[in-house]
Amino acid sequence: MMSRFREIAAVFLVAAILYGMQRTTPLYSEITSLVPAYGEQGKRIDARAFAFAVVNVHLARMVRTESFGRTQDFTTSGVWVLIEGAAEAKRESLTLTTANWLGPSGISYALSQRFSILPGLLPNQRLEPGLPKPVLLAFEVPESEVSGATLLVPRNYMTPLDEEIRMPVTNIDTNAIHAAITLKRSTVGLPWILETE
Amino acid sequence: MQQRSTLRQRLIAILVTGVGATAAAAISFGVTVYEAAHPRAVPVVPAGEPIDTGRWNITFQAAHSGPVPPTGVEPSESKKFVLVEFDATNLSAATGFVSPTLFTVDPPVPNLPAPVFYLARDKWIASGLNPSMPERMIAVWEWPQALALPETLRLTVGSQIYKRRDNLYGASSWFDRDPIAVVELPVSRDGAR
Amino acid sequence: MMGDVAPRERRHYWLSLAALVVILPATVLASSWDSLMQWRANHYRIQISVERQAAQRYAGADWKLSELTRLPGGMPEESVVLVEFEAAVDDPAILSKSPCEVALTDEQGRIWKPVFLTEPIVRELHPEAAEKQGCSNFAFEGSSKGSRITMAETFTVPTAAENLALSVTVFGALPDYMLLK
Repeated sequence: MMSRFREIAAVFLVAAILYGMQRTTPLYSEITSLVPAYGEQGKRIDARAFAFAVVNVHLARMVRTESFGRTQDFTTSGVWVLIEGAAEAKRESLTLTTANWLGPSGISYALSQRFSILPGLLPNQRLEPGLPKPVLLAFEVPESEVSGATLLVPRNYMTPLDEEIRMPVTNIDTNAIHAAITLKRSTVGLPWILETE
Repeated sequence: MQQRSTLRQRLIAILVTGVGATAAAAISFGVTVYEAAHPRAVPVVPAGEPIDTGRWNITFQAAHSGPVPPTGVEPSESKKFVLVEFDATNLSAATGFVSPTLFTVDPPVPNLPAPVFYLARDKWIASGLNPSMPERMIAVWEWPQALALPETLRLTVGSQIYKRRDNLYGASSWFDRDPIAVVELPVSRDGAR
Repeated sequence: MMGDVAPRERRHYWLSLAALVVILPATVLASSWDSLMQWRANHYRIQISVERQAAQRYAGADWKLSELTRLPGGMPEESVVLVEFEAAVDDPAILSKSPCEVALTDEQGRIWKPVFLTEPIVRELHPEAAEKQGCSNFAFEGSSKGSRITMAETFTVPTAAENLALSVTVFGALPDYMLLK
């Protein structure tokens, strides 16, 4: 009788262990997730293959681009977040093709590709070892996702277990949303000129 | 005595699992056959009514046809376009592109290339749509020259489900599922410009 | 339970357990063998170091770095490096089929890849070099024994970078690659 009881108890124990293992198995995306390199806004953040720093964060209701005499308005139902920064490759020439704005709700907004021909945009900027280059990032996010966000800059988004810079956006003035920001091409200094209205 | 009883127990165990597995396979096969024989009717949704496809919420507005794409610039080589305006909201948690298989022309038109999606705001080819930021989109089919432009367009809208762990890798992603709605739109003809 | 089992059976039990120690790693190795070989093919490289002005036999041709010119870059601290090199073809079989990759390296092991568009300053000061093509199988298409192919690539590097060398990899000749100093 006692041994019969012990057998049943063992079956239940095994079932409980299996259930626990099934519930706590990490997701595939977690196993192969990117390795984070944390940093602060305004400071140089080093990953192994590249370094990145945010200089300015601007907010606007509209972005106007002026390029080769052609003016275009880019409206949005949310807010434009424009980030001026610098990036540098460390060991080998590379291009950072993507970045994400991770809102406080956990929803991620990818780099906007709506005005992708402008020079200096992150995916257009070839980074060389030892030569810091100015980079411009544009995101389009709902107004509620502006404060409390984290900027994510992965080396590239295809390779699992690659590295990713994670920078909480701490210094952002949510009251100063400009009506419009104009971006122009420039031939000296920065590759773009940013004017607020 | 001990030995024989174990043997009998084993036989029963084998029998039970065998019968169980066979029954499960038979039921699953039967359900598949039954569903194939009795397809569920896909509801016809009028224009202007939102359709929740799982990953997207889309509302068809209107369809028209003509020689001018949404850019407003008529191509030098005369072409026929069929344009469908719709509102799309990304219901997922990340920026995503509207898939060319989100809705398809029904019945299929031979040699019809996949549609190109334009963002009405920019009058330009759309890039990814951000979550919870509804956008007016225009799906543009380049209609085969040999075919007459349609008077009405019947579209089958697909659906998607999110799997936290897919059956192959255990990875989280979206998967296409059966059509969820059918939309019939009258196609107005743009004035020749 | 184990008490009433014959000693032979018990020995088999322990032997089987011990065999697992060998068999499990062997299975892992066997099932990942192709991936391992692929990884080795992708990463294993043998360097052929070539001194300045010397010619080196590689992938069916004699290679030589003819000119390495530093020009001022668009930004301060930045240099444009124009590298002109040539290959005297002996056997075009490998060269005309497999891709060729070049990069500029320095003594710290940093790697610069060629720029996509030729820098304006190269067009201005070395128009003949700007016309030359880069290293690729297209450069060797239709070449025959005895033909001399001249090539050029442009890089942007920090002015402070020293001991620059050109690495040339023809994929058909792997694992060997050349480092032209």
